[in-house]
Amino acid sequence: MGERGRGGCCPPMDLMRSEPMQLVQLILPVESAHLAVSYLGDLGLIQIKDLNAEKSPFQRTYAIQIKRCGEMSRKLRFFRDQMSKAGLAPTTRSLPQDVLNLDDLEVKLGDLDAELVEINANGEKLQRSYNELMEYKLVLQKAGEFFNSALSSAEARQREYASHQSGEESLETPLLSELETANDLSKHVKLGFIAGLVTREKSMAFERILFRATRGNVFLKQAVVDEPVIDPVSGEKVEKNVFVVFFSGERAKNKILKICEAFGANRYSFSEDVSKKTQMITEVSGRLSELKSTIDAGAVHRGNLLQTIGEQFEQWNLLVRKEKAIYHTLNMLSIDVTKKCLVAEGWSPVFATKQIQEALHRATHDSKSQVDAIFQVLYTREMPPTYFRTNKFNSAFQEIVDAYGVAKYQEANPGVFTIVTFPFLFAVMFGDWGHGICLLLATLYFIVREKKLSSQKLGDIMEMTFGGRYVIMLMAIFSIYTGFIYNEFFSVPFELFASSAYACRDPSCRDSTTVGLIKVRDTYPFGVDPAWHGTRSELPFLNSLKMKMSILLGVAQMNLGIIMSFFNALFFKNSLNVWFQFIPQIIFLNSLFGYLSVLIIIKWCTGSQADLYHVMIYMFLSPTDELGENQLFPGQKTAQLVLLLLALVSVPWMLLPKPFLLKLQHSRQQGDSYAPLPDAEESLRSAANHDSHSHEEFEFSEVFVHQLIHTIEFVLGAVSNTASYLRLWALSLAHSELSVVFYEKVLLLAWGYNNVVILIVGIIVFICATVGVLLVMETLSAFLHALRLHWVEFQNKFYEGDGYKFYPFSLALLDHEEE
Amino acid sequence: MGFFVTTLIFLVVGIIASLCARICCNRGPSANLLHLTLIITATVCCWMMWAIVYLSQMKPLIVPILNESE
Repeated sequence: MGERGRGGCCPPMDLMRSEPMQLVQLILPVESAHLAVSYLGDLGLIQIKDLNAEKSPFQRTYAIQIKRCGEMSRKLRFFRDQMSKAGLAPTTRSLPQDVLNLDDLEVKLGDLDAELVEINANGEKLQRSYNELMEYKLVLQKAGEFFNSALSSAEARQREYASHQSGEESLETPLLSELETANDLSKHVKLGFIAGLVTREKSMAFERILFRATRGNVFLKQAVVDEPVIDPVSGEKVEKNVFVVFFSGERAKNKILKICEAFGANRYSFSEDVSKKTQMITEVSGRLSELKSTIDAGAVHRGNLLQTIGEQFEQWNLLVRKEKAIYHTLNMLSIDVTKKCLVAEGWSPVFATKQIQEALHRATHDSKSQVDAIFQVLYTREMPPTYFRTNKFNSAFQEIVDAYGVAKYQEANPGVFTIVTFPFLFAVMFGDWGHGICLLLATLYFIVREKKLSSQKLGDIMEMTFGGRYVIMLMAIFSIYTGFIYNEFFSVPFELFASSAYACRDPSCRDSTTVGLIKVRDTYPFGVDPAWHGTRSELPFLNSLKMKMSILLGVAQMNLGIIMSFFNALFFKNSLNVWFQFIPQIIFLNSLFGYLSVLIIIKWCTGSQADLYHVMIYMFLSPTDELGENQLFPGQKTAQLVLLLLALVSVPWMLLPKPFLLKLQHSRQQGDSYAPLPDAEESLRSAANHDSHSHEEFEFSEVFVHQLIHTIEFVLGAVSNTASYLRLWALSLAHSELSVVFYEKVLLLAWGYNNVVILIVGIIVFICATVGVLLVMETLSAFLHALRLHWVEFQNKFYEGDGYKFYPFSLALLDHEEE
Repeated sequence: MGFFVTTLIFLVVGIIASLCARICCNRGPSANLLHLTLIITATVCCWMMWAIVYLSQMKPLIVPILNESE
């Protein structure tokens, strides 16, 4: 496998280092290849390398099959569209039908597709005719009304004129009597008419253009249709007007026809005759009802078809996706010259060897092939992918670590300690057992309904919360613990473990507001004494406590990080890193900040008044001076001098020897006259890829600068990272102050009014504020800062994180992928 | 109750927890080692937090000064 020797320094621990991976080569005979890949996909433990990377998608072996699968998934998408339009949802788990193979399915899908398209087309045609007939009916009715009214008014006028004829000539009689002109047939102009429907919005423009085009020589009568009509062309309901245009002459007719076309006004033939009109109306009504029943029957048929499709839809969908994935994978295999077998190369964990071999056996057996598949392990210097076997509990923590960077193959995984330290640091910033209980209840809801919720589709935020439910559960449990330590239940302290250690100096308690109480009993056994809450000196005390706590926790976590780098060096048998990186780093960090931590503890144990700021500053500025009031323990001066010297020595110790020794190592390697030959079993193609890794150039200046940067980063980082841990104090202070404000200024204030309504309003405001600000915002905030502390301050001591993740070819993952 | 007694109590609780973990989820040596590591880490973290708060209150330099209104 081309790795350097692996260390057996410590017993193996789950999750600490990536599973050992190996590069395997599978030689599959063509007839069993499909089945073999299918079984390997079910197994989900092999990541297949793409051996045909230079070929375009069309040059690959199975391009045609992929096209067929693509065509089938297009048809399935079409079915899904049609089903959703008809309001049917595909049943999620269909009845298990017999397993279809791809060819049968293709034929079936083709048939169904053709049938559905035909039904749709027919339906559309029928619907269109139906709409046209509806319009025709309207035209008959409305235009009929024109003609009727026109006829009746003409008759009325004739009768009037006739009665006038018998009367006297007056000024009102027209100069040219109508009857005369009516009788003069030669002067008769034959009026033609066109009847139809036009959309109401366009009707004004229609009228205007008609007028202009024919120079006013037309007569247009419009009537409004009350209900919106379904337009046959567009299929939507629009408001329309019935119009009748009277014109004379052929040219006018052509113009009018063109204008009607331009406006999308549908024209219908119409006869003046009254009897024919009624006949037409009855005929049209008859045809309409016929068409309606035909259309309804068609819709029912379509519904049934979609129903049968819906029952099997999910199964077909899954089958097509599976086949597509299998063909994609098959395309990644390289085909042998003889075209009789396919060669696959991939990464798989060592423990999966047996399972893979078994899957290959089964494939050979099931496909009745004569030749067995060959499985062999290749040796390579390429870096394998990183694979951690996680369960539902620690997968969330591993994802948190992976979000920063995937671990390099077989380096120590910070995820192991993150499982405990991340919730713990969160809890240090969140400490309140009331809030912790609320958080715990919320996450227990998710955990109890785990099975049901995992198959549902949740929104984005819910999805993230659900995925991190175990993280939040641990965070809540630790928060309850730190809540007891800080003695805060929605900011209220309780005397749970013993009575408070503080009492008045004398029975009258005169001095309690000036000089304060005194400690009369033993220290409060668990957590912060409840007497502190609400006093004037609460903040100075708590601030001092929390700042020192942050430093102590920070130094502890950073030391853990450096020790992890020691384990890495042991594992990779890198003694250079042990002597010239680990040891000076530990010495530097602990002679400065480890010493500070020790001083803090000594000050607490002895109750000395020495100011630690001054102690540290004078340790650097004037180390040889007398300590005076800064003395915490005998021999302090010599101790400080020694530690200072150690720190000063460790810096060049980190910086200088390593590059020179690396150069020595490299020249010793170059001096060997034999270079390792590439293994005979290594495939030629993979050799071409490995060239870049085999001979590393050694640039001394580059190595030196790299080491310089590393040293500076560590030295400066020691100060800045330690100070960074003070955010534990800052956030914890913010949380408790917010908590106090909400409790005192909302709840207690509302209680003080002795009014039920105000109390209820106060309680509601308190709950909303607690949930919104403290439970949601503070949780996110503390989560983020705990994450930063892990990613930067803890991991930069040892983590490289430049590996790549193991993505096996797995058909089970398909279900969750494409949705 | 004293610093050392409570420290002993933490130690005992840690040992009991690791025994419980060994009894109820025994899944092979590497998994057991992981569980043991997690329990030790949790115990040490919790103990450190308690010890820090306890030590800081043993010989206090400032005392509670009550507010005027109380």
